[in-house]
Amino acid sequence: MSYFRITLHRSAIGLPQRTRDVLSALGLHKRSQTVYHPVEPQFAGMIMKVKELVKVAEVDRKLEKWEVKAERRPDSGFYLEKMAPRMEDGGQKVGSRVLARLRGEEGGEMTVEGVRTEAGGQVRL
Amino acid sequence: MFGAFRATNSLSGGLLWKIPWRLSPTQKYRQRQRLKAVDKVVETLSTALAKKGETVKSLERWKAEMPTEAEMLAKDKYTIFDRKEKRYRKGIHKLPKWTRVSQRLNPPGF
Repeated sequence: MSYFRITLHRSAIGLPQRTRDVLSALGLHKRSQTVYHPVEPQFAGMIMKVKELVKVAEVDRKLEKWEVKAERRPDSGFYLEKMAPRMEDGGQKVGSRVLARLRGEEGGEMTVEGVRTEAGGQVRL
Repeated sequence: MFGAFRATNSLSGGLLWKIPWRLSPTQKYRQRQRLKAVDKVVETLSTALAKKGETVKSLERWKAEMPTEAEMLAKDKYTIFDRKEKRYRKGIHKLPKWTRVSQRLNPPGF
């Protein structure tokens, strides 16, 4: 079931009483207030009455308050990367063994096309 | 002519509000943004209802009669018909509540 997400963007101060009544029937009493109503012709008609005052989007579900807040939050500008697991010295050094084989230091044939990292990137020499 | 007792419009007549006769470029820009915002609301409603196979009379009437922002002529975006005005046009900012009402159509020929 989809909903109209209706946000009161412009105030109805000084507008006709009928317009203000439509807003209060929609449950909009202050600016920046958001309400959800199911996608039905009756609600579409009410939104048409106040289309100059509201912002409307169609959403699948009623969003929680924190979700709406998270949308407004600007990008922090950084992200935390998890530390990649390191191999112990003397243990299996996967990356270096592959490189060594490619350089010909270790036995075994291997072509450049054959080497792919787990993430899908190609190893370049 | 000069000094504290000069006869200016506001001194001789009291309160004087001056409304410029035309919109500034920024006002025109914001007017376009508002027109587009209304178009977007109408489009959202119509696509959402069309998915359910339903429609509303007021929506259909709007879509049939009203031009979108891109279809409108510049003179209809920024001016409005007025029978008392010379050349029958005045700035749309003279319309009360002009930023919150839809005024897109004017008499044909004017």
